[in-house]
Amino acid sequence: MSRREGSLDPQADSSISPLPHLEAKIRQTHSLARLLTKYAEQLLQEYVQHQGDPFGRPGFSPPRLPVAGLSAPAPGHAGLPAPERLRLDAAALTALPPLLDVVRRRQAELNPRAPRLLLRLEEAARQARALGAAVEAVLAALGADETRGPRPEPAVVATNAAAAAPDAGVFPAKVLGLRVCGLYREWVSRTEGDLGQLVPGGPA
Amino acid sequence: MPAGRSGPAAQSARRPPLLLPLLLLCVLGAPRAGSGAHMAVISPQDPTLLIGSSLQATCSVHGDPPGATAEGLYWTLNGRRLAPELSRVLNTSTLALALANLNGSRQQSGDNLVCHARDGSILAGSCLYVGLPPEKPFNISCWSKNMKDLTCRWTPGAHGETFLHTNYSLKYKLRWYGQDNTCEEYHTVGPHSCHIPKDLALFTPYEIWVEATNRLGSARSDVLTLDILDVVTTDPPPDVHVSRVGGLEDQLSVRWVSPPALKDFLFQAKYQIRYRVEDSVDWKVVDDVSNQTSCRLAGLKPGTVYFVQVRCNPFGIYGSKKAGIWSEWSHPTAASTPRSERPGPGGGACEPRGGEPSSGPVRRELKQFLGWLKKHAYCSNLSFRLYDQWRAWMQKTHKTRNQDEGILPSGRRGTTRAFT
Repeated sequence: MSRREGSLDPQADSSISPLPHLEAKIRQTHSLARLLTKYAEQLLQEYVQHQGDPFGRPGFSPPRLPVAGLSAPAPGHAGLPAPERLRLDAAALTALPPLLDVVRRRQAELNPRAPRLLLRLEEAARQARALGAAVEAVLAALGADETRGPRPEPAVVATNAAAAAPDAGVFPAKVLGLRVCGLYREWVSRTEGDLGQLVPGGPA
Repeated sequence: MPAGRSGPAAQSARRPPLLLPLLLLCVLGAPRAGSGAHMAVISPQDPTLLIGSSLQATCSVHGDPPGATAEGLYWTLNGRRLAPELSRVLNTSTLALALANLNGSRQQSGDNLVCHARDGSILAGSCLYVGLPPEKPFNISCWSKNMKDLTCRWTPGAHGETFLHTNYSLKYKLRWYGQDNTCEEYHTVGPHSCHIPKDLALFTPYEIWVEATNRLGSARSDVLTLDILDVVTTDPPPDVHVSRVGGLEDQLSVRWVSPPALKDFLFQAKYQIRYRVEDSVDWKVVDDVSNQTSCRLAGLKPGTVYFVQVRCNPFGIYGSKKAGIWSEWSHPTAASTPRSERPGPGGGACEPRGGEPSSGPVRRELKQFLGWLKKHAYCSNLSFRLYDQWRAWMQKTHKTRNQDEGILPSGRRGTTRAFT
């Protein structure tokens, strides 16, 4: 792999060639991220459909409440070194499954006759875990996995669960679910972009 | 202002349970001014109401950001802005709303009532559940597959749509003793069905009923009492074979096997056959096939592909006096009748194999004629078998004549010769 912007090691020595399997791993993980980006978009569409108007309408802009333990990719994310970006991606993908589970449980009460939505939420949690593990495997292969991103504290996840609990208002629960599905889409898409820059022959 | 309540079954309005989400926001840090759904509180939160009732709601703005007042606030319901005349400012920080004659909820997750700031940003939301209590479910029907399980189906209350999620629960108990049990496997044969897979007693009646519950109330069906043995069905007969009957152009022979799961109990099984021409959707049903595993279809069109199906009714198991329940039809089996130049007859009926007379009108008359002949003309060796042999001979003769004379136009009959 030639030295270029976005290369895996900012101080890459051109005499060191990456293992062949690393390229394969990156390509594979990138393909997975691309597929999951499409699924995440479908999940979002399915979600807003079942919450009713104005969810899903153009211009609908509920407050972007912070979700405990997870935030959207920062504006400066793209400017970070590749390993740091991947670490943040992996951390976010690890934080997403319990949030998606919270949303699924609440939607099981609000929309019990929406099996496809509930299935997509369940699958999204599994997919996020799988992609997170794949990104961590890439980081390990790069030798850059020594520091892991922040994990949501159990208490913080519990707080999210409380916000979506049956006693909490239905409207805030709908908004929380929209936020989580949106974050899932943003992070999967971000991961696809970050891996795309590492794919040999991909965009610099 | 309290919400309008109507009907004894309507749930009471809940106090706004927004303290917990507010706590969440305090832990995380206050949002920017005017950016949070929790900058105001709607009361009531998530009320349940009867269709046609009224709702009085309020949107109370918090003191942050400073200067936030009720002026300029407005309401939307399911994304549609509500007319200003439905709202009024109660005080500097509270906007009230009065809705009358509410329609049923548009989605099961609740109608979205939202309070907006002047700039359109969302301050708070509440979900309305407007609907009807469930009506009594009815028309419960149940069947047991091979006496091993029980599946029941029912029709929801008379008007069906309640606009609210309505939960249906099938309950059952032994009539003379035992506790209530609840069926657990739902939607097995449609949206209003349930399957009880095991642990069912025979020779003793069960009581079965359905309970419907939603946010506005509940309803219970009448009780159905049945014995499992009276509602037995079985699998379709396997190994259905359809074949030609020699060269007879208007007949097909159908054979099948008794359903194996009940083979030791089917002393009085009834069968039905249905058949249709390949490119038709109209089935003809042969009803009178009792306790046999073969049948001959007659009066068919020559040179035609037929699809045939068979089903079984295992009535009378263990002395049950009830009718039993027909199985599903077997997979279609196809066969074709031999070709003929002559136009074939139209209808058909089932004939037992072995040349015995059937119930078809033509053959019935023939039977009578043969009977008369035997009596009056001393033709002791006349029989239907002989008649079928004659027909097969006629076909062969006709085909040979066609080959000698060239192909006849359709509809033209060849000369027949009496068979002596």
